[in-house]
Amino acid sequence: MMSETVPRPAPHTRRRMSDESFITLLVAGVAVGLFLFASLMVPNFFQVQNMINLVTNNWAVISLGIGVTFLLVSGNFDLSVGGIVALSGVLSVWFAQAAGDGNPLSVGLGLPYPLALACALAGAMAIGALNALFVVRFGIPSIIVTLGTMMVARGIAQVITHGSQRNTNLPPEFGYLGNLSMFGTSVKFAVVLMAVLLLVAVFIEKRMVFGRITYWIGTNPVAATLSGIDRGWHITKLYLFSSAIAGIVGILLASEFKSGYSNRGTLMEFDALVIALLGGVAIAGGFGSVIGMFFGAIILAVVTSAATGLVLSPDWQYILKAIAVFLAIVAQTWALARRNR
Amino acid sequence: MSDIQTSTHAQTGLLPKVGAFLRDYYIYFVLVAVVLLLSTANLDKFDLFERGNFLNKNNIINILRVSAPILVIAGAFTMLMISGYIDLSVGSAMSLSAVVYALLAINGVPFLLAFVLTVVVGIGLGAINGFLVVRLKITPVIATLITLSLYKGVALLLVEDGVSAIKSGGGLKMPGWFNGYGRSGIFLGLPAAFWVAIAVTIAFVVIQRRGVLGKHAAATGGNPTAAKLSGINTGRVVFLLYILVGVTAALAGIARSSFMSLGDPLSGDGMELTAILVVLLGGTAFSGGEGRVLRSFVGALIIMALTVGMLTLVPAYYQTLVIGAALLAAAASNHVITRKGRAE
Repeated sequence: MMSETVPRPAPHTRRRMSDESFITLLVAGVAVGLFLFASLMVPNFFQVQNMINLVTNNWAVISLGIGVTFLLVSGNFDLSVGGIVALSGVLSVWFAQAAGDGNPLSVGLGLPYPLALACALAGAMAIGALNALFVVRFGIPSIIVTLGTMMVARGIAQVITHGSQRNTNLPPEFGYLGNLSMFGTSVKFAVVLMAVLLLVAVFIEKRMVFGRITYWIGTNPVAATLSGIDRGWHITKLYLFSSAIAGIVGILLASEFKSGYSNRGTLMEFDALVIALLGGVAIAGGFGSVIGMFFGAIILAVVTSAATGLVLSPDWQYILKAIAVFLAIVAQTWALARRNR
Repeated sequence: MSDIQTSTHAQTGLLPKVGAFLRDYYIYFVLVAVVLLLSTANLDKFDLFERGNFLNKNNIINILRVSAPILVIAGAFTMLMISGYIDLSVGSAMSLSAVVYALLAINGVPFLLAFVLTVVVGIGLGAINGFLVVRLKITPVIATLITLSLYKGVALLLVEDGVSAIKSGGGLKMPGWFNGYGRSGIFLGLPAAFWVAIAVTIAFVVIQRRGVLGKHAAATGGNPTAAKLSGINTGRVVFLLYILVGVTAALAGIARSSFMSLGDPLSGDGMELTAILVVLLGGTAFSGGEGRVLRSFVGALIIMALTVGMLTLVPAYYQTLVIGAALLAAAASNHVITRKGRAE
């Protein structure tokens, strides 16, 4: 990975805020505004614990959103992450289950636990490599490729678990990582990992050449290629990066529940896409940020938890998501058009 | 046979002709191969449908009956993809139509009126997609992702909490005619839903080959700017195609709902994937501009033969993997075929 930093502009030059920062601020403002509005409407909403829960309950989707956001910025979809979450979780269980005879669902490969995790992660990244192969080498639209690999990943998980789950014959340390609390609080390791990933991602995005190349490719792929950027290899790295995050999320979830469940992570790929869109990431590429995606996740979390607080039927969540994305897209387009008039 | 010598020169002779022939008709070979594979495999292990041969009359009728939804959608969906657009909400629109149709029927609305009203709902759902894409200029993938969520939510809300689907019970009873449309054979043992799918497909084949809409759809997908400059109202073409997809989604919902005798708000889940799969299998270019309705129809037959036939060979939990792999394989072969087609 390249480590040169982008030169900072001289501190005294006054610049107009970029469109991207403008949209990110807008999204953050909407997130805060919605939270205050929900606090007025829903009893007991305005509590510190509730604010913390809005973030910690969504660590999985926010983590997935990082890889998805980078890919969207480069002009590519990744809908395979939900399937990879299921696959890596199931693989980690299957590899770690003790070998032997008996019920086919309780017999695994009996690998040592660290090796089992490494192999599960490798399996997840194999799906990322498959994405890259089809998108980069064959030039097939990423939405179709990743819909296919989503089904392939989940399909493999279903074959391994016979369509249900594996949760027996596991080594005692299996449940440790997913239930580990940090700093003597109830904050889980997974949440801390999400925060670290977010910070690293923001740094890469804003300050490192790797991040800026991602924007360049998304803005103008032809110009990027003509300037000597190996576009294919860059997108390959992004898919591997995204699948690795999804693999880790799957492993942590499997550890938390001490089971490999083939339907885990269903629709997570759509939620990751939805929070990126809410956060102002443009699917045409070249525009958006990880911070925006984070606030997009907060918007979605506030809307869905406020709906639950108002005792709406859970079926409402689909309609609320649809309306939220619709309003976000229309509002962002309108705000940008107005600003640049 | 004397052409074999000249065929070694790739430029002229037999090989390019064979290539062109394969490119145009490969889908039929795939269908024959799948049917041969399934009919020669050992089917005696499971007793899921009819014991015996894949080519057993009852088995074929059963496959064609459950295929009615995808067969009816394939034509309009192909035209939409030829014009360079996509509809991810087609499965949710189908679910919502199925629920609406079942709700109307269970509340005593007669067959024809319920049928027509559901089709009107389908027109509305397609028009919403068209409005988002054409008027508000939201990217097709996002616009139809929004409506995917919206239609699914409405379908779920129409069904009471604690009940999985609209069905007989709680004082209401499905009328006796309800499952006739999707199940009772009216001709050659096949139900009306199947023959409607055939009629719709024929209509789309004619529209594509002879109709103005077919030419305009291909022009829009091939080069939108050129199409606009030559006076085609591409917005109207796309809007109309979204409405047609909505109508066929409604027809699919009616067929599925009638076949299952209930209005299941999840019955269309995954239909968008199947639709994309059969259109790609039929060799329609993703970038739009070219494609054939009839080949998508054959693609749909292949996928249904495979998914239903497969249940007799392997456990059901292999299905997701096989469909996903088929989607990737179709996309890859589609890529090879269309690229070769353009190079020549």
